[in-house]
Amino acid sequence: MPDLQELGEAIKRGDRDQSAMLTNAAIAAKVPAQEILDVMVAAMDVVGQRFQKNEIFVPEMLIAARAMKESLALLEPLLVDAGITPIAKAVIGTVEGDLHDIGKNLVAMMWKGANFDVIDLGTNVSPQKFVDAVRDNNAQLVGLSALLTTTMPAIKATVAALKAAGLDTAKVVIGGAPVTQEYADEVGADGYAPDAASAVNVARALL
Amino acid sequence: MNGRERLLAFLTGDSVDSLPLMPITMMYAADFAGVKYGQYVTDFRALVESQIAIADAFDFDFVSCISDPAREAADCGARVAMFEDQPPAIVETDALLASKSTLSTLTIPDPRTATRMGDRVRAAALFRERVGDRKLIEGWIEGPCAEAADLRGINTLMMDFFDDPAFVRELFEFTLELGVQFARAQVEAGADLIGVGDAAASLVGPEIYREFVWPHEKRLVDELHAMGTRVRLHICGNTTSILEPMGQLGCDIVDLDFMVPMDKARAAMGPDQILLGNIDPVRILRGAAPETVRAAIAQCHQQTRPRYIVGAGCEVPRATPEANLRVLTDYARSTMP
Ligand code: B12
Repeated sequence: MPDLQELGEAIKRGDRDQSAMLTNAAIAAKVPAQEILDVMVAAMDVVGQRFQKNEIFVPEMLIAARAMKESLALLEPLLVDAGITPIAKAVIGTVEGDLHDIGKNLVAMMWKGANFDVIDLGTNVSPQKFVDAVRDNNAQLVGLSALLTTTMPAIKATVAALKAAGLDTAKVVIGGAPVTQEYADEVGADGYAPDAASAVNVARALL
Repeated sequence: MNGRERLLAFLTGDSVDSLPLMPITMMYAADFAGVKYGQYVTDFRALVESQIAIADAFDFDFVSCISDPAREAADCGARVAMFEDQPPAIVETDALLASKSTLSTLTIPDPRTATRMGDRVRAAALFRERVGDRKLIEGWIEGPCAEAADLRGINTLMMDFFDDPAFVRELFEFTLELGVQFARAQVEAGADLIGVGDAAASLVGPEIYREFVWPHEKRLVDELHAMGTRVRLHICGNTTSILEPMGQLGCDIVDLDFMVPMDKARAAMGPDQILLGNIDPVRILRGAAPETVRAAIAQCHQQTRPRYIVGAGCEVPRATPEANLRVLTDYARSTMP
């Protein structure tokens, strides 16, 4: 019986070789895909909480997310076979004029870790690009990131563009250092999260 | 005392007539002088005239060559996007060191003749000509970690710390030497002090900071001192977890961003370290009423006095009300350390 707990630990440490090896071992031992997935998701939750509490920092978080991503890729065919689909389709990006992407990347990885299907549009994404991606992918969740006060208005413009395009069934979650809950309320976003760990909780609650 | 006299006296521990004042202005200075930011970063004359205008208007004790993090990277060959009225941006998706093997082919540009570095060296020289000994002249370089992030891509560098420590060390050797040479050219041209911006260092925790970043920052600080100049270290972001080692670098000034509690910084770095900062640039300096700005800067001072210099946590943001910036001037000029 492969050690699923060890798999969780390997992901938390960001040990991509070990986590891939243990994922393959679990698959070979016919552990149900859902069980393997649950272990990975729980591990990423812990990683997010440690980051929130300043116990780990950006490098540790990035390598943990990478280990998770690679293990998840190994598991994907089994998830498909078992009819386990991602719980939601999400589109995420940094708004127009803004090139900061570290925080956005962490949120995208945590969402992947929570078994969302995440389409990452990158940085400097125009409202129209968000609209197109949400429409084309039938996304239920949209994440908008802004790190500059000068680009916060682009959040507002993007929310407005989604509404104007009739895509307001997709839930919009916003974040980035200068963004606040009040700002989310003001621009009509559905949610706000101060960090990557709570971004998962907020998204889960909205869906 | 004029600004230069005040700062030089303060740095050596002599008595001064009021608190020194060193807020960072970049886009704010350009706007103030009616210069487009794209011109500010490419024409040293526009930068120098804007800096002198803002420093005179608000009685700053210094003028600065700081403008954007991309100068060194651009001259090394990195792809940099330029804008009419925004800071240049390094194109991270097409990073110069996307492939690690490119590092061995890189050479350090001659700072005096390279396009963007040379422009800054000329700014230092023109400052010397235009402000003489009235105000302290600050040069600027990227710190070893920030420059490594500029060349390699910041997201990738963060994982390199685990994936390939030897590569990181080799890269930091390069960026350290690049910084030293760029600083030397600015000092020779007239800079009194070198500002070191090492923003990416705030993203790593204490272990990586101590193992990789600190030793290179320390060597940089020592080299700068050996060339007879002074050092202001500014790490944008939350550095609360690395305050202690930062205090052991021997910098003349440690300039802290707003997320750092000043009382903690004082406790971590001891009574002699000069601290600079650190009111919230956006929420307080730009967004709050003058009384709030005053209370915030007074609190920074109370928590750190007497070795304290007035400033914001980072760049004074665009569209900060002049009345709010004036509060910093009034506080500095009416208060003793
Ligand atoms: C690294 C950095 C850069 C790098 C970015 C590289 C990259 N690939 O991202 C570079 C050097 C390119 C850069 C450039 C600039 N920067 Co900058 N930068 C920073 C710095 C130091 C760290 C940002 C960061 O990555 N933090 C770490 C991550 C993990 O935190 P985070 O982004 O806040 O994300 C978390 C949460 O906010 C949240 N979150 C984020 N996004 C989302 C999205 C959703 C949907 C949700 C739910 C949550 C969420 O979860 C994340 C994880 O917990 C900050 C200082 C700081 N401390 O914030 C300045 C800062 C953001 N930059 C600033 C400025 C001014 C600039 C420049 C204009 C500087 C200049 N004069 O050249 C340019 C602008 C370029 C542009 N057009 O975007 C200012 C912004 C001031 C303001 N509020 O307007 C800051 C705050 C520095 C300061 N103190 O003044 N910068």
